[in-house]
Amino acid sequence: MDFALSILEQGLIYGILALGIYITYKILDFPDLTVDGSFPLGSAVTAALLTKGVNPYLSLLISFLAGVLAGTCTGLIHVKGKVRDLLSGIIMMTALYTVNLVIAGSNNVPLFAQKTIFSNSFLEGITGGNIPDYTVILLVAVVSKLLLDFYLKTRSGYLLRAVGDNEVLVTSLAKDKGSVKILGLAISNGLVALAGSVFCQQQGVFDISSGTGSMVIGLASVIVGTSLYRVFTKLKPFRKKSYIKVTTFVFLGAVLYKACTGLAIRYFMPQSMKMISALFLLAVLLLMLVFDNMDKKKVKKNA
Amino acid sequence: MKKRVLAVILGAMMTTAGLTGCGGDTGSSESASEGQEMYTIGISQFAEHGSLDNCREGFIQGLEEEGLVEGENLVIKVNNADSDTATAAQIADTFVADKVDLICAIATPSAQAAYNSARNSEIPVVYTAVTNPEEAQLADDEGMPVGAVTGTSDQLPVQAQLEMIRELLPEAKTIGILYTTSEANSAYSISQYEKYAEEYGFTLETAGVTNTSEVSLAAASLLDKVDCLTNLTDNTVVSALPTVLDQANEKNIPVFGSEIEQVKLGCLAAEGLDYVNLGVETGKMAAQILKGEAQAEDMEYELLTDSSLYINQAVAENLGITIPDEMRENAEETFTEISQE
Amino acid sequence: MLELRHIHKYYNPGTISEMCLFQDFNLEIQKGEFVSVVGSNGSGKTSMLNLICGSIGLDEGQILIDGKDITRQKEYKRLKRIGRVYQNPAMGTCPEMTILENLSMADCKGGFFGLQRGTDKKRIPYYQELLSQLGLGLEDKLYAKVGTLSGGQRQAMSLLMSAMTPIDFLILDEHTAALDPKTADLIMELTEKIVREKELTTIMVTHNLRYAVEYGDRLLMMHQGKTVMDISGEKKKNLQVEDILDKFNTISIECGN
Repeated sequence: MDFALSILEQGLIYGILALGIYITYKILDFPDLTVDGSFPLGSAVTAALLTKGVNPYLSLLISFLAGVLAGTCTGLIHVKGKVRDLLSGIIMMTALYTVNLVIAGSNNVPLFAQKTIFSNSFLEGITGGNIPDYTVILLVAVVSKLLLDFYLKTRSGYLLRAVGDNEVLVTSLAKDKGSVKILGLAISNGLVALAGSVFCQQQGVFDISSGTGSMVIGLASVIVGTSLYRVFTKLKPFRKKSYIKVTTFVFLGAVLYKACTGLAIRYFMPQSMKMISALFLLAVLLLMLVFDNMDKKKVKKNA
Repeated sequence: MKKRVLAVILGAMMTTAGLTGCGGDTGSSESASEGQEMYTIGISQFAEHGSLDNCREGFIQGLEEEGLVEGENLVIKVNNADSDTATAAQIADTFVADKVDLICAIATPSAQAAYNSARNSEIPVVYTAVTNPEEAQLADDEGMPVGAVTGTSDQLPVQAQLEMIRELLPEAKTIGILYTTSEANSAYSISQYEKYAEEYGFTLETAGVTNTSEVSLAAASLLDKVDCLTNLTDNTVVSALPTVLDQANEKNIPVFGSEIEQVKLGCLAAEGLDYVNLGVETGKMAAQILKGEAQAEDMEYELLTDSSLYINQAVAENLGITIPDEMRENAEETFTEISQE
Repeated sequence: MLELRHIHKYYNPGTISEMCLFQDFNLEIQKGEFVSVVGSNGSGKTSMLNLICGSIGLDEGQILIDGKDITRQKEYKRLKRIGRVYQNPAMGTCPEMTILENLSMADCKGGFFGLQRGTDKKRIPYYQELLSQLGLGLEDKLYAKVGTLSGGQRQAMSLLMSAMTPIDFLILDEHTAALDPKTADLIMELTEKIVREKELTTIMVTHNLRYAVEYGDRLLMMHQGKTVMDISGEKKKNLQVEDILDKFNTISIECGN
């Protein structure tokens, strides 16, 4: 398999996760640590279902719903229990570790012999052979992205964006801001669990430790993606075009981040990987600072 | 203006990528000299850890014994996943993309990742330090490979260990084990202990942790209930071994190890595997495959049949335990001091 | 009709900084009345609005709308029939969303926020017409983010949005205080227009005595949790700023202003 394709695959899987984090971090302004638990939750649910012979495509949906449930719990703890955002995430993340062990039945469940979304009779039936993993991942990623884009344009989606932007307005609109937050956390963790499901099917194994650090990867992807989006929207030819959305850039952020890890693995000392990822993120943020400063100057000049 | 900035950014990014692209690949098969065939091996190690490092060194040594020498006819790329499964997968993908001649995977998650990535390629995978290849689905129920994947198992010599403990502590009733709930190898080893403990007249008490910071608390709670502790090759617990030893020493409770490094650090004794040996065996298997003498698909995974006894005399004296002469004679290695490293 | 009956409200009860704000406070506001409220700092003007809207709870007493007890009703439920504009123009709109999106949301207030399209394209001409009535040129900026507008423009939007759907009460909480005098005048004219057009029962808290005298059918002056002046009817129509200035200065000095 080509090196670039492997980066693309990983990037797209983590891009789905980043979509979820985009909802909590950018839209809701909620630092949600549940992610480190709901990502392996998706994997655990998938592992349990696949070993029981459940249709792998159905397992995607069920994993998503499991994530929705986890997000709802985080939301309820935060909204009804009045626990601070960071803490409610930590509580759920911690609890999910046990939940995941119980669901999967073991800390490591190999799926090499199971039917997955990448290899099953249905897929072979319509394509007549092995189709590369990335097409399947791309399909899941694009569908998730389009559905999220669609959702954010609905009334419910408007409300979700409003609650992160200005809670007071949501109350003024006679809506319970707490419920809207819970809904946002639910959708977000649903996407994260979906990513976990795709991840373990692609890896051919569920491992309890697969969630560790997924929040950081997702957050970095979102920050890189949204930063690039800001640059992009300022570019003249694209300023008025709205068909390329920020969600696309979230995927781009994830792919770039994974490319960084890939390059580190391939060309640098293995120990340096985290440093390279850190420097990459820092570089993007500093470039944005430079970019914003120049932008301000330009605005002044025009004024 | 803005366009130019972006152009510069993109340009810079591409240049960096390009530069590293040219300079990175240190040695490929084509650079083979004097007509001798040149092999490239990718070693994917799951974590930085004493026994796994020993495995790696043994592996390279084993290759050498078979005439495959790094720098002469062998290029070795080593990568460490830092205990992260996603990184393990990416490492494996990279090796496959680089078309190495063989992947050596150390520890279960790396082995699974390597097998998964190499499944659709021609690249054979040789693993080591996988406790239970059947359960990891790297081998079928008969121990035969599920694909071009074989290697060695570091299954603990549980029975030998129990026998040794019985001999040293004839009165002991309860054995305690600390383990990490997330480590596949540990879960399997626990089940082995559960299976054999009774045979040697022991009952088993276990305490599970999820990370190093919990080891101290778990050890304290376990030490109230047991006559001795025995260790697995559990990465997390082994990293926090000094904490466990401190607490056990305070209560005068002996701690048994599972390999040489742990005895060096202050465990009383161990019927353990020599991970360097395990690596050597693995290296020999890899050499056979590379030279075309055998196919990975046909090679049953191997177990080290003999365990070796390691004793720490200094610890025995501290605990007031006399080690039988016969046992001392059988020991592979006896330490007279506790390593402070 | 809105009734506040025997309201008691303490801040920080049981602590050393315990403060009694309202003690047996009573107020009745008739349907269609436009009430301006002035008073010293800490007199309880804004607290009264918060009690009515349910933003803060009360310790004793009852709040009734048309005879129905809403004392224990949650804030967001009450706001279904109440429009509220805050002092800070940023509170009434979503800065990261466009003008069109903001108006679309306000247009759905009280309705179901499901998976229907967020913006009903057929309503756009109507929104543009509403915006053009503001005379601020916003009708051409439907796709601009509200965050890019000036404070006055945003407050005009807030006012428009708060009264887009049929409501019983309009609550104005010093809604001109953060604006420059010219913009403030403009917003007040707009307020008057909307209130009269929709015949809204309105409570307007203000620091500006001129607005309090000029607008509204009734004037309340509050001090230390009590109504010290309540002028309505013909008397209110003929009221001049000078008539209340003395009283206002006395209570303000008492508060140390």
